[in-house]
Amino acid sequence: MGKNSVNRKVYGWLDERFKLDDLINFMKKKEVPLYRGTIWYYFGGITLLLFIIQVVTGMLLLLYYKGSSELAFESVRFISAKVKFGWLIRSIHSWSANLMVLSAFIHMFSVFFTKAYKKPRELTWYSGFLLLVLAMGFGFTGYLLPWNELSLFATKVGTDIPKTIPLVGGFIMNLLRGGEEVSGSTLSRFFGFHVALLPGIFTVILALHLVLIQRQGMAAPENWDELPESRKKKIPFFPNFLLRDLLIWLIIINVLSVLAVFFPWDLGTKADELAPAPAGIKPEWYFLFMFQTLKIIPAKLFVIDGEVFGVMLFSIAGLLWFLVPLMDRKTKSGEKSYWLIYSGIFVIIYIIVFTIVGFIAK
Amino acid sequence: MNEIPGYTEKSSRRDFLNYVLSIGFFGWIVAILYPLYSYLVPPKSPDVDVSNISIGKASEIENNSSKMFKMGNKPGILIKTKEGELRAFSATCTHLDCTVQFNKEENLIWCACHNGKYDLNGKNISGPPPSPLTPFNINVQKDEIYILK
Amino acid sequence: MTNTVKYNKILILLIMLILNPAVILSQEIESKDACFNCHAITEGRLKTPADMFKSDIHFRKGISCAACHGGDSKEEDQDKSMSKSAGFIGIPQGLQVSKICAKCHSKEFETLSKSVHGQSSTGTGLVINSCITCHGIHNIIPVKSQGSKVNGANIVSTCANCHNNASLMKKYNPGLKVDQLEKYKTSVHGQKVFSGDSKAANCASCHGNHDIKKVNDPNARVYITNIPSTCNKCHGDANYMREYKIPTDQYEKFRKSVHGIALLEKGDLNAPSCNKCHGDHGASPPEVESISKVCGTCHVLNSQMFQESPHKPAFDKSRTHECSACHSNHEINKPTDEMLGTGEKSVCIKCHKDNDKGFLAAGMMKNMIDSLLKDVELANYFINAAEQKGMDVSDSKFEANDIKKVLITSRTSTHYGDIEKYLNTINEGFKITNKAKIDGEEAVNEYYFRRLGLGVSTIFITIICITLYFKLKKIEKKQKT
Repeated sequence: MGKNSVNRKVYGWLDERFKLDDLINFMKKKEVPLYRGTIWYYFGGITLLLFIIQVVTGMLLLLYYKGSSELAFESVRFISAKVKFGWLIRSIHSWSANLMVLSAFIHMFSVFFTKAYKKPRELTWYSGFLLLVLAMGFGFTGYLLPWNELSLFATKVGTDIPKTIPLVGGFIMNLLRGGEEVSGSTLSRFFGFHVALLPGIFTVILALHLVLIQRQGMAAPENWDELPESRKKKIPFFPNFLLRDLLIWLIIINVLSVLAVFFPWDLGTKADELAPAPAGIKPEWYFLFMFQTLKIIPAKLFVIDGEVFGVMLFSIAGLLWFLVPLMDRKTKSGEKSYWLIYSGIFVIIYIIVFTIVGFIAK
Repeated sequence: MNEIPGYTEKSSRRDFLNYVLSIGFFGWIVAILYPLYSYLVPPKSPDVDVSNISIGKASEIENNSSKMFKMGNKPGILIKTKEGELRAFSATCTHLDCTVQFNKEENLIWCACHNGKYDLNGKNISGPPPSPLTPFNINVQKDEIYILK
Repeated sequence: MTNTVKYNKILILLIMLILNPAVILSQEIESKDACFNCHAITEGRLKTPADMFKSDIHFRKGISCAACHGGDSKEEDQDKSMSKSAGFIGIPQGLQVSKICAKCHSKEFETLSKSVHGQSSTGTGLVINSCITCHGIHNIIPVKSQGSKVNGANIVSTCANCHNNASLMKKYNPGLKVDQLEKYKTSVHGQKVFSGDSKAANCASCHGNHDIKKVNDPNARVYITNIPSTCNKCHGDANYMREYKIPTDQYEKFRKSVHGIALLEKGDLNAPSCNKCHGDHGASPPEVESISKVCGTCHVLNSQMFQESPHKPAFDKSRTHECSACHSNHEINKPTDEMLGTGEKSVCIKCHKDNDKGFLAAGMMKNMIDSLLKDVELANYFINAAEQKGMDVSDSKFEANDIKKVLITSRTSTHYGDIEKYLNTINEGFKITNKAKIDGEEAVNEYYFRRLGLGVSTIFITIICITLYFKLKKIEKKQKT
């Protein structure tokens, strides 16, 4: 019991300063609807956990990483070969990055299909969308940092795409590359984006996203309001939901360790800017569906360049997706909007099919 | 009657749960802290090696002497001639991949395996080596020698 | 073989038949050639060509002076026969000479033009691509006859006329040596030729005649890869070589040797051809005691070690052929570790027997190299195993680079014939292989350590998860009541 009294003392000390009781009461009052779709609530938390892991492992990697074209590859090799547990930190960082994007996608689609974006949660959707874009930006910039052959050429291809945008394309490409070609200056730039610029913006938007969720609580399922009070099953956010979250987080952490030990992230061979492009250049999997689409669009579509068309297509699609809360007028007025569900299903199928095609294609 | 033993049973079970949880948590924290601590301790082996490597101060190398360095996975040799000129070559003999060395007395680069000899320009001059040693470019900045591949 | 001999004999007979009547005829029968007749009865400078021409093969074949000098050889009036209108050209100058010869000997001239002599001619001074430079003038006789400038020993001095003349040679090729004649005199070929044996090789036997190419021209008969077959033309002909009582299987043996394979099959121009060991112009077999010096021009360390070894004086005493006693001469194979030790293929037991000191040392050396090889294998096994398990072994691989070197130096150091020196070298190898072995082993262990660590952390996480689950159930049960 002595241990308990120590706990109590520490808690009391903190409570006096932070008003923990208020916070806990707030969380206790907050309720999470318990129904078939409750499982989807966890993906936001999983994404958050993976982001935290990214921050921690990222900071650890920064202790040894050197962001220049001469040193990048060797320093990453140094981390994986010489630094104790460096292989673990690096592999977890890579695996966690991929899982984070994956769980963010799942999170997004679950929100989409449960219509959780509807009023008053439009801002949560907007900020969430931006977070996903930023996460993909993290992935794109981080991919180049080991400065290996594949990442160099994937970046060459990737940064080449904005060039097709009329008028400003060349400027954007130069801005991304820090020059005409992907070179050491691109690496410095991407390094800066990856560890300073993106995290800064990400943190601000993430804070907004989380505050919104905490203020507004979990979104209830669509027909929740119509249910009689007796059938509305709920659990308190604290401790019930949070402990479940914790349980899942622990499992995710272990999954990450298993992945890192059994499938350590490959380093590849050092990038050589003058070498010919190796066969099978592919971007990270979450860009693959776009990459594959651009590949199958014919070079000329009527009057416009095929690539320009593709870029425009994705820009418009992205914008529409971003503005979903505005477009969904039917849900607002309480009706079911089937076309939105169908288009959502189409998007998922499209992404899955083209990602698979992208993997199989040579 | 039933309540009291039930209560004590529950409370002891709860204590047990807490106990196990603390053990698990403590063990897990150690399992995280140990790799973290090991990661933070700087490795003994020297820092990264690259295509543009610094291999020491020019003034610290005596004239007519040499210094071996690592170029990725292969050895390299830096030579400071009698005149104080710096030259660097791949130290892998072109004959059978032995590692060559500087021979002070004869003023040439020498391979112990088959007595292959190279002059200080890396040219194969005697013995079995079929071709010259690959030279590296040297850049000296503020007395620091950098080897560029 | 017998066919060629027969053919040669018939040829010689034929030539003699042709020549002999000609000799008789030229002295007794007056020529119908007006030029010759006139010049023969003049005095001094004008008479010399006619006198010389009497023995010339062209004269005997009835070819007139006019064939080369132009003019009308039937016209007895000097003004008419030597007039420009009759096509008289006087003394042909420079290149004109060869062009006149080429009227009949066109094939030879064409070959000559493509040869080093044809290509190197500067066009002024001595015309080296001129026929008369070697064949002489007005007294040209068949190659096979003794007096010919290009026959047997004569050709040697004909060539040496220019090639022994440093001030002349430097006009064409300042780097070319001018000591060929001196060396040739010391060679077995030279000694035989100068003592009247026309079968022994002279300049043309190896270099060819009209078609002589530079030695670094791959078409030259004496280009490094062509030398073995050039030498083999004579040395591989058992009939031709019969009277000299030397073997004729050198080429066959050489072809199969490590040197022959390197030179002829792999095209390694650093590999030795016949002349690397025997000399070219001074060709002769190396002396017994200088074999290790000759081999040592390439195999320096082996040679040095042998010179220091106790084998050197012993071999000298017993007149044992140094390197070739163990490695043979023309058919040198890639040495194996089996040559060491006391096994069947051992070369040591040729001399060392009955557990004498050398016998024991040989066995020990063999054991040492065998166990080093086992260590190397083990080290490579560990490094590969670790690499296959996805571990980074670039450092171990870097260190293992030296294993190759150590194997080479250890094997080389057997030539010391000294167990102490051998041990010093091979111990270095054990150190390196041990280090590589330990590194590889550590990497493999590290691989299993990672799995162990993962297992431990999984156990803890599982404990936490299970207890958390029960705790959650408990809390929820409590909340309901």
